[in-house]
Amino acid sequence: MLSIEDFPEYQIPGAKQVRFNPYESNGGSVVAIAGDDYAIIAADTRLSSGYSIHTRHQDKSFKLSEKTVLASTGCWCDTLSLASLIKARMQMYEHLHNKKMSTTAVAQMLSILMYNRRFFPYYVSNVLAGIDENGEGVVYSYDPIGHCERKKYSAGGTAGPLLQPVLDSQVGLKNQVGVERSPIPMERAKAIIRDTLISAAERDIYTGDGVIFNIITKDGIKQERIDLRKD
Amino acid sequence: MKIDIATEGPSNGFNFDNCARNAMLQKNGFVCPTAVKTGTTIVGIVFNDGVILGADTRATEGPIVASKNCEKIHYLAKNMYCCGAGTAADTEMTTSMISSQLELHRLNTGRVVPVETANTLLKQMLFRYQGYIGAALILGGVDSTGPHVYTIHPHGSTQISPYTTMGSGSLAAMSVFEARWKEGMSEEDGKKLVRDAIAAGIFNDLGSGSNVDLCVIRKNYTTEYLRGYEYANLKGVRELSYDFPKGTTAVLKTNVKRFEITETIRPIDSGSVPMETA
Amino acid sequence: MFLTRSEYDRGVNTFSPEGRLFQVEYAIEAIKLGSTAIGIRTPEGVVMAVEKRITSPLMEPATVEKIVEVDKHIGCATSGLMADARTLIDRARVECQTHWFVYNEKMSVESCAQAVSSLAIQFGDSADGGSAMSRPFGVAILFAGIDSGDPQLWHMDPSGTYIQYDAKAIGSGSEGAQQNLQESYTPNMTIQEAVNLSLRTLKEVMEEKLNSTNVEVMVMTPDRLFQMYTKDEMQKIIEDLQ
Repeated sequence: MLSIEDFPEYQIPGAKQVRFNPYESNGGSVVAIAGDDYAIIAADTRLSSGYSIHTRHQDKSFKLSEKTVLASTGCWCDTLSLASLIKARMQMYEHLHNKKMSTTAVAQMLSILMYNRRFFPYYVSNVLAGIDENGEGVVYSYDPIGHCERKKYSAGGTAGPLLQPVLDSQVGLKNQVGVERSPIPMERAKAIIRDTLISAAERDIYTGDGVIFNIITKDGIKQERIDLRKD
Repeated sequence: MKIDIATEGPSNGFNFDNCARNAMLQKNGFVCPTAVKTGTTIVGIVFNDGVILGADTRATEGPIVASKNCEKIHYLAKNMYCCGAGTAADTEMTTSMISSQLELHRLNTGRVVPVETANTLLKQMLFRYQGYIGAALILGGVDSTGPHVYTIHPHGSTQISPYTTMGSGSLAAMSVFEARWKEGMSEEDGKKLVRDAIAAGIFNDLGSGSNVDLCVIRKNYTTEYLRGYEYANLKGVRELSYDFPKGTTAVLKTNVKRFEITETIRPIDSGSVPMETA
Repeated sequence: MFLTRSEYDRGVNTFSPEGRLFQVEYAIEAIKLGSTAIGIRTPEGVVMAVEKRITSPLMEPATVEKIVEVDKHIGCATSGLMADARTLIDRARVECQTHWFVYNEKMSVESCAQAVSSLAIQFGDSADGGSAMSRPFGVAILFAGIDSGDPQLWHMDPSGTYIQYDAKAIGSGSEGAQQNLQESYTPNMTIQEAVNLSLRTLKEVMEEKLNSTNVEVMVMTPDRLFQMYTKDEMQKIIEDLQ
């Protein structure tokens, strides 16, 4: 689309255009790893804007069901709006179909809800983790307009680009020969997530303060916390 | 053959040869590399026996921490130091240039250079470049007229004040000063106050972080540069080992080339005349 | 019921003082003019068998479709006005696809029946475009499907009521057929026994003699899902029945 910038000779000297910018980045990072019968999803607890910290204690994960947890970063108001929309839609599904929504169904629905806003997207980086219908751990990652991919591990948020290669190496064992490719035990998954977020706090200014883990197994969801550096 | 580039030293002042070319590249969509900024907290106060300067040690490139322990308190002269915030290269080069000018001035005049002289040199230089040199400075020092702290903005305006802060953490730090700075503080109280002001920046401003550096310049011309005065943030301890066993990287191709090495000894001509050393 | 017929049977939006909607009841009566359709659920799968009325030797029997696929795991047998049936089947298909698109899973048979039911009760004369039809749909539908590996049979009538059955007959011969099913149905019958029962029942209530062109049979199992019997298979099974 053409705008006034394309016609410099018609511009009024000194005139400044001010546009409404509906988005804000509130920072934060998410890491998720799925095992054979569990999934762990963790997010840091810093909520920021520009160079200021809003809070050091924001839980960025949303327990959607006993088997599914969503963690989101990006524009926090969009995150809240999207999370409550998902919860409402899940409640409607339960009433309509007389059953709990499976993780795969939530994953697909989330993709649809995001794509519904193709031209005014939710500015959110989503990672969904849970146990699927077969009891297997799964992670789904998204882009802001609804691309959805089923994975075994994923990193998102402001330190996502820093963390994903670490997971590719430590969980995906990419480009390594002679390494044992056995299912990843829960304790190791937890340690990798812990270490990656500690490292993210070293180099990403929007990641820090603390981490909340959600450990999803067939017996339910357990939360654990650790501290990160606070500068 | 004469190689121009290699033989000629840098000419005086900045070189603007590529400005037009770079503007054209940018207009055609080229993304310029970004300079390191020290989104920073720097402060300075006057206390009973001199001045104390303080700084954090984080340098950033956008959202990424470029350096976790950089130096932001720069040496100007024996009786003067200068904290720098803004574009890292600008603060470093500006302070070191002025530092050499101050040393020449001291040698020419044979006396301790007044802090006001450094202030004038800095503000004239920054004003000349109309804010394009992105250096926000806090100059602190002592001279025959006593302790002084100057605030110098990138466009060249300056002010003198008993306590000042600059950088992205300036508001956090100033809140500490406004609450607790008093006239005639002791060195111990002054250091604690400066430490707290920097810590306020480190913890509440995302552009500032890591450690606290201090510099005390006393009226008796003794200075104490306290690099790493406090490690406000300890590095996170990782749990796992990230060493890869030997052989983890696949060998895709091997190619062995054998070199025949032959050695011959050639004696230096004994008939040459030794160098005159007398 | 015709004894109480009165002025109240004119509009679909008027209850009689006894609390009845006559037009809906008449629509249910209309089903009894339709061809007979039978559904039987067994632990192994669901069977549906329908009578096809070939009213002229010049008619092409293959174009009379009484059993249709809604999704891979849901099939429908209809009785009543075929044109109305198409509308409802189209809705069922759209709902199944939408469910798959939004949730990436198979729609349950009950949800499918419910979705069709909500269309079936959208009759009346509302001006805001909220109604799909000015009268009730004159169709009854049997839904056969596999719900998470579990075979199910559902029935929906023109009032939009949908109920799960083990065995159900609709259409002109439904009364006799239902009686027969009630006597012969056992909860643990095999799929083959169910096919035989459905055809024997049809044979009893049909005026014409059973042959491979005037009946359709569909079998749905968890592994093979929607499977129509071919003409040859029908031929063989009818011979075996004698």
